[in-house]
Amino acid sequence: MTRDPWKAPLRRRELLQGGAGLALGLGLAGCGVGNQEQASKEQTERVVEAKVDGDLVYFNWSEYLEPKLIKAFEKQYGVKVRESNFDSMQGMMAKLRSGNRYDLIFPSSEWVDRLRKANQLLRIDLDQLPNADTVYDYFATPWYDPQADHTVPYAMYATGIIYRADKIGDMSGSWNDMVNPTADGRAFLLDDFQEVIGAGNLVSGAELNSVDEGDVEKAKEWALSVKPKLRGFSTDDVQNMVSGNAWIHHGWNGDVVNIRNQVDKPENYSFQKCSEGIPLGTDCFAIPANAEHPGTALTFINFILDPENASKNIEYMGYPMPYTGPDETFAGLVKDDPAINVTVEDLESGQQFENLGAEGRRLWDRTWTEIKAG
Amino acid sequence: MDGDQGGLSGRFAARTLFPGGFWLLAFFAAPLGLVIAVSFGTTDELGGAIYGWYPENYSRVFDPLFAPVLLRSVGYALATVVLCLLLGYPVAYYIARFGGRRKQALIALVVLPFFVNYLIRTYAWVAILSDEGVINGFLGEPVRFLNTPWAVIGGLVYGYLAFMILPVYAALDRMDPALIEAGKDLYGTELSTFIHVTWPTTFQGVLAGCVLVFLPAVGDFVSAQLLGGPGTYMVGNLIQQQFFGAEDWPFGSALTTVMMLFLLVFMVFYLRSAAREART
Repeated sequence: MTRDPWKAPLRRRELLQGGAGLALGLGLAGCGVGNQEQASKEQTERVVEAKVDGDLVYFNWSEYLEPKLIKAFEKQYGVKVRESNFDSMQGMMAKLRSGNRYDLIFPSSEWVDRLRKANQLLRIDLDQLPNADTVYDYFATPWYDPQADHTVPYAMYATGIIYRADKIGDMSGSWNDMVNPTADGRAFLLDDFQEVIGAGNLVSGAELNSVDEGDVEKAKEWALSVKPKLRGFSTDDVQNMVSGNAWIHHGWNGDVVNIRNQVDKPENYSFQKCSEGIPLGTDCFAIPANAEHPGTALTFINFILDPENASKNIEYMGYPMPYTGPDETFAGLVKDDPAINVTVEDLESGQQFENLGAEGRRLWDRTWTEIKAG
Repeated sequence: MDGDQGGLSGRFAARTLFPGGFWLLAFFAAPLGLVIAVSFGTTDELGGAIYGWYPENYSRVFDPLFAPVLLRSVGYALATVVLCLLLGYPVAYYIARFGGRRKQALIALVVLPFFVNYLIRTYAWVAILSDEGVINGFLGEPVRFLNTPWAVIGGLVYGYLAFMILPVYAALDRMDPALIEAGKDLYGTELSTFIHVTWPTTFQGVLAGCVLVFLPAVGDFVSAQLLGGPGTYMVGNLIQQQFFGAEDWPFGSALTTVMMLFLLVFMVFYLRSAAREART
């Protein structure tokens, strides 16, 4: 009846036809969720020379490398460093998986193992890195990279308990200091499934990485017994300690250095390595299989390995780097509380977070959900 | 009415819908389809999602372990709705009835916080509420505000208050002030006029506000993450953990899908109520 185009009834079929092609296109594009490019062995095992071959596409945690060194590298080699950051290993993986191309990434040892086994890392020939001779001998055969030909260690961390020496009297040296009565309601566990279940395993005398159901059940019971005394789960140990909300914090050694840099009385902030076991981890330099400028990446690694640069970097980020020479810089930073340091002896006696395998990881994930939701 | 006579012009009207339709398809329907597709999938060795047929993702959703998490989320969201209504209605009332020339400016002030990201504004509350923070600096004796359920609800109220004020304001602004005068002429007190005239007239706006606050609040994870304690785990945190911690996108997607169906019940209830109102 009406000719007014604004009032004419819409016909469902017309709209559907218009949208169908589009929906199909998007649906097909959506298949990209898991489209990891499979690199061939020849491609990842070729020797790359440490020669600048373009701008560096750099992907790291934020504030984990001295920005002045990046500026200096840009100036010295006449390239740009295009920086982006991730805030978790899973976040890093999601970006890699969706096809983004980076020249340099900083995976933890567990992720190195997983990426290497999936042939996602380019070979790193140590002959190309003259400065690599300072790297601790221990890292000639690390568990995650037995030939040391796909990574260079970047930093080491140890997990323990950060505490306020001025508020908490005596610490017993055990993980059970998490429930120190003085800190009731001012204690935080890390919001990290590996750290909490790992610590729980150590408390009951199991191996750090145990995926035995009985062990993991005991770890869960430990975490649930600590939970009512907690103020929260958080990975922001620095902020929680600096703000005074936490007196006891399950945390990382390097963060004590960062806390101390931000407070008036640094001597009040101490670190305890727990007697039942010290979980250790390593973050590494690695080059993804699809990197466009691996030569620049190698040049950059060698640049950071330079002892003077590494020392500057340690002062900035507050974590020990496993290089002879620069390690003295870190030891100097923490000379009044040597527990903050990670030494070669720690590496040999401590327990490192390892690859749990798909099944083990599922068990730990499910247990973690039970701890958080319970 | 339709068919041959409306044909050409109907086609024209349909075309005006293409930009919006495109938008909805590209940024709503397609991602939603992906979420549903992934929710039946599994993961590879590196934690990537792979499509497949694993309906057990859905049976895991109904694990009794999650019931308290869901109840807590709904409880927090309902408390948020009530507080937003108690705080938001008077604000909207004042602006609509007594705002005068400053009405637009006042509404702009309500919207102003949205210029800053919600996450950053929530971080600001951490600084304000912490033990050695701004408020405790005045109090002297530190009171524990942060990492409590109250802080989480407070964060939600703060985050979503504007979603209550705006629809209520719109309803009040549309309302003919003569109705209130008529109520008073009929010997209604201030209170009885409000109960019998203003409230029923603006009820649809209130309902819209409640839905707009409840839906995002029940799925929120930022407030519980930053302001909450060990016992304030919400559905949003559970879902977020599947994506960013557990490398289990399929289970996270299944949780999301079930959550959306659950919230759809509230949405349908609201839409039917609004449709009924429009008919009368």
